[in-house]
Amino acid sequence: MRVVIAEDNALLREGMVLLLNSAGHEVVAVASSGPEVLPALLEHRPDVAVLDVRMPPGFRDEGLRAALAARREMPGLPVLVLSQYVEETYAAELLADGASGLGYLLKDRVGRVEEFLDALERVVGGGTALDPEVVKELMTRRRDDPVDSLTPREREVLHLMAEGRDNATIARTLVVSERAVSKHIGNVFAKLGLPPSDSGHRRVLAVLAYLNKGATLNKGATSEGESADRR
Amino acid sequence: MRETVRRAGWASVELLRAAGLALASYLSIGVVIFAAVAMATVVGAGVLPESVLLLRRTAGYKRRLVGAWTGESVPEAYRPLAGEAFARARAAVGDPATYRDLRWMVAHAGYGWLLACCAIPVWMIGLLVDGVWCGLLGKRAVVLPLIERLVDLDAAWSRALLLPSPEALRSARLAERVEELSETRAGAVAAHGAELRRIERDLHDGAQARLVALSMRVGLARRAYEKDPDAAHKLLEDAQDQAEEALTELRHVVRGIHPPILTDRGLVGAVRALAAGSGLEVSVRDDGVEDGPRAPAAVEAAAYFVIAEALTNAAKHSGARRASVGLVRMPDRLRVAVRDEGRGGADPSGGSGLLGMRRRVAALDGTVEMTSPVGGPTLIEVELPCVW
Repeated sequence: MRVVIAEDNALLREGMVLLLNSAGHEVVAVASSGPEVLPALLEHRPDVAVLDVRMPPGFRDEGLRAALAARREMPGLPVLVLSQYVEETYAAELLADGASGLGYLLKDRVGRVEEFLDALERVVGGGTALDPEVVKELMTRRRDDPVDSLTPREREVLHLMAEGRDNATIARTLVVSERAVSKHIGNVFAKLGLPPSDSGHRRVLAVLAYLNKGATLNKGATSEGESADRR
Repeated sequence: MRETVRRAGWASVELLRAAGLALASYLSIGVVIFAAVAMATVVGAGVLPESVLLLRRTAGYKRRLVGAWTGESVPEAYRPLAGEAFARARAAVGDPATYRDLRWMVAHAGYGWLLACCAIPVWMIGLLVDGVWCGLLGKRAVVLPLIERLVDLDAAWSRALLLPSPEALRSARLAERVEELSETRAGAVAAHGAELRRIERDLHDGAQARLVALSMRVGLARRAYEKDPDAAHKLLEDAQDQAEEALTELRHVVRGIHPPILTDRGLVGAVRALAAGSGLEVSVRDDGVEDGPRAPAAVEAAAYFVIAEALTNAAKHSGARRASVGLVRMPDRLRVAVRDEGRGGADPSGGSGLLGMRRRVAALDGTVEMTSPVGGPTLIEVELPCVW
């Protein structure tokens, strides 16, 4: 597949190119600052964009903004966002216009080459790859809720679903049969009161929407505060 | 009647003290004049500051007496006498307060004495008149209370003469402020040092140690590579685990130094992210902080950690479901208020989190106010001085 990389650190950039090339992918362009990203994407129309969050000129969240802009300009473009640290808020912003073809991972995960390439494939295929850290934060937040009534195994399944894994991967990870996974998923959806959905990004969205309810509430309260400021 | 006499008696004691002080004043004035004259000689330079100190002590004693009588303390403002003999003498001579004190002392040597003398006839007439008027007829005493008025007079005059000039008072306040600032600055430096040591230790015990272990495993894997590929594989796997743990720890340390989201999104954005992740329904109200220049990084970080701590406490202990955070840009400071609708009753002095919060804020010369009545709400207000 054809990839555009945006990463300002030369060491990491070269490592990434090496890794992707060794996996048989083609890096068609590299951007090393925020403003370079969108033009590169528009020019090369890659299969996927791999973006670092913090980049010049401001060394703030240029990569994230570029990712959001890219998804607005080129709907359906798979984007994988990498960062030295993950923020729930950023995940929520990225997921705001759909979880399809979206990844948000810690840079550490690149070291697990197989898993990283798998996540990349998933994103290119229209799936989702959400970092376990984000999912963990989301899960611990909803602690006084039906999430508590889940069995440990069901929680693990919920966790993996939220990361964007499909049934086969979940089964492999937990070393159980796919039928058992389906059963667990059924239980999770029933306990959380969610309508059953097929595997795929719709399911991820349903799970994330559920876990993210607190944050959505906060968003409402925040905009209320903002409007109060403008008065 | 008994009460009247008792009060007159106390007033007389005051007047006697004044008279005694007036007598002592004669001596003091003598000493000061002697010292001033002796200034011409080398010995005088040593004696003068001492006699000025005596003058200050006498005036200080009177200030306390007047303060006790009127219930309103009389401030004092002196230049410190420090350094070698000549510097001390110069400071003593150069301090306008010395002349104010001298003026008071001369005046008081007169009126202190005079007022005490006035009390004697008042006593004699008072006992006679009030004895009949108050003691026998049960009316209000009229003469004996005059003694208290005499003390009032002494207090008023002394107060007027002993009150330092406005400039002296201002410079004394400034001196006090400087001392306060040097103290908080020393505190800030100490806190900063402690913080650096903590970071150093965290890195040394955590990420650094893990990287050493990682390097060892990679080295072992290289040795085993030819002879025992399985073992090499296992070692490399371990090495990767170590690398990931080191990265996790580094992230943790970085968050403790300066949360990255503060850099990315500024204080308001970072606080909104905190609010979203707090598990509470939090409304964030920003009053001008997001517009215009940002606060210094240290101020933003302090505000961020205070809010994080307050929200954590609210989520853990207060039982509240809602909280609100207010950020206000003021001309010379940043105001932060965190309020939760929980059960209240939080101990304002206790808790290591709160102590850390106070220390962090004090290091920036800020203030923390906390009110938490039983039944709630709990309100934490923090003010951090800053230049925007």
